[in-house]
Amino acid sequence: MQIFLIILGIVALVMILMYNSLIGKKNQVDNIFAGVDTVLKKRYDLIPNLVASVERYMEHEKGVLENVTALRAQAMKPNLSDDQKIALDTKLSAALGAITVAIENYPELKANENVMHLQRSLSEIEEQISAARRAYNQAVTDLNNAIEMFPTNLIAGWMNLQRRAVFEITIAERQNVNVHELFNR
Amino acid sequence: MKSLSELTDFYYKELYPYLEELEKRRNHILSQLKWYGGIGTVFFLIIALWMGKNFGLFHPLMIAVAVGFILIASITYRYMTQDYAKDFKNHIITPLIEAIDSHLLYNPDFMISQYLFERSNLFQHSIDRYSGNDYVKGSIDGVPIEFSDIHAEYQTRDSKGRTQWHTLFRGLFLVAEFNKNFKSKTIILPDLAEKTFGNLIGGWLQSINIARGKVIQLDDPVFEKKFVVYGEDPIEARYILSHSMMMRIVEFQKKISHPLFISFVQNHIHVAIGTGKDLFEPTVFKSLLDYKQAMEYIHTLRNTIGIIEELKLNEKLWSKE
Repeated sequence: MQIFLIILGIVALVMILMYNSLIGKKNQVDNIFAGVDTVLKKRYDLIPNLVASVERYMEHEKGVLENVTALRAQAMKPNLSDDQKIALDTKLSAALGAITVAIENYPELKANENVMHLQRSLSEIEEQISAARRAYNQAVTDLNNAIEMFPTNLIAGWMNLQRRAVFEITIAERQNVNVHELFNR
Repeated sequence: MKSLSELTDFYYKELYPYLEELEKRRNHILSQLKWYGGIGTVFFLIIALWMGKNFGLFHPLMIAVAVGFILIASITYRYMTQDYAKDFKNHIITPLIEAIDSHLLYNPDFMISQYLFERSNLFQHSIDRYSGNDYVKGSIDGVPIEFSDIHAEYQTRDSKGRTQWHTLFRGLFLVAEFNKNFKSKTIILPDLAEKTFGNLIGGWLQSINIARGKVIQLDDPVFEKKFVVYGEDPIEARYILSHSMMMRIVEFQKKISHPLFISFVQNHIHVAIGTGKDLFEPTVFKSLLDYKQAMEYIHTLRNTIGIIEELKLNEKLWSKE
């Protein structure tokens, strides 16, 4: 009888520990996503400025600018799920990249102090976003591992925890934003 | 900043007259040292023989005599090389540092403040004795930088009440402004646990190091193998340690072949290189004109000051302007 109680006690303890570690990992993911959200918002705040200052010059790239504005409007909507935010962020990064490339074709834009200033702010925020994404991905990987690995997967199933999506890191991002190069082009 | 070959040229061309003079003095000191050393050894042997006859070879007094001889020898050595070392620093190292960059000031007797050393958070033990020399301060490409030799020690008492000194850190310590703003602390240490105990147990040992805070797992496998990172803020740690920064740190580590400790605190980077010896001391037993010797001085200086270029600390981001 005593042995049975001891075993029961140990099992209960292990269950509690696993439960707590899963909750800890889930909260870490949410916590870091809040950080990701903050830097993403910083970028959304800059976009109208950028669009306003380049739009006069970029007659031929109207589509690119409209695309960015539309994506921003979508991303600013309340009640988006984390996965939706992640998907929108990927599209927005690509669209902003397109603007950066387009600016190269306009010497008057490259000489414009204001535009260059915005570009620099954007590239710094880009670095912060990249850092936040990497932190988020690590936290998500930890959580996903725990959800799938034995024995925590048993408890995770019972707790109804779901796998989360990670940010896809593009090849361009792996190479990192090189500010120096940005100016010397 | 001048290149290695330019500096080697400078060492052999511009500094040559003084090097020759110092070399003569070195030879003189060396022959004196040999002479005194010979006399000392003879004396020691005579005393040792006499004592061995009267007290036995392993008598406690014998140890006292040996210790006394070593003490006298080291004091004599210090005394005889003092002026030579001073002139070497004033006439060789000073112009060499000036040649590397004219924005640098050099003081052979000064060191980085203990405050900065402790601020780095790299070595957590309390410090009972703090010393150093060869202090360099200035700016490279507009980045404020300072470094010096540091020897930090702490004291313990054993069960018999005897005090013992332990070296906490000995080597080169450098502080420079970092080109990104940050609020939290991020600390990079050599990965001893994972090296000794392997991935699984080592990783677990690191994670339970309560004094250090949270381990931050980074997404560069080469970097992860060599270093362990502790930080307060996982996002900020990755903001500082971008992929390119991690790569540069790995490259830098390959170059120096000594343990490397880096921390990011209060918008500054702190770098400690555990060379285990005093740098920029003149050789007594090897020629000053020896190519290898010259290259060691030049290499150490160039690599240290080159950290700014190496880690690209001179690339200004907009918010830091």
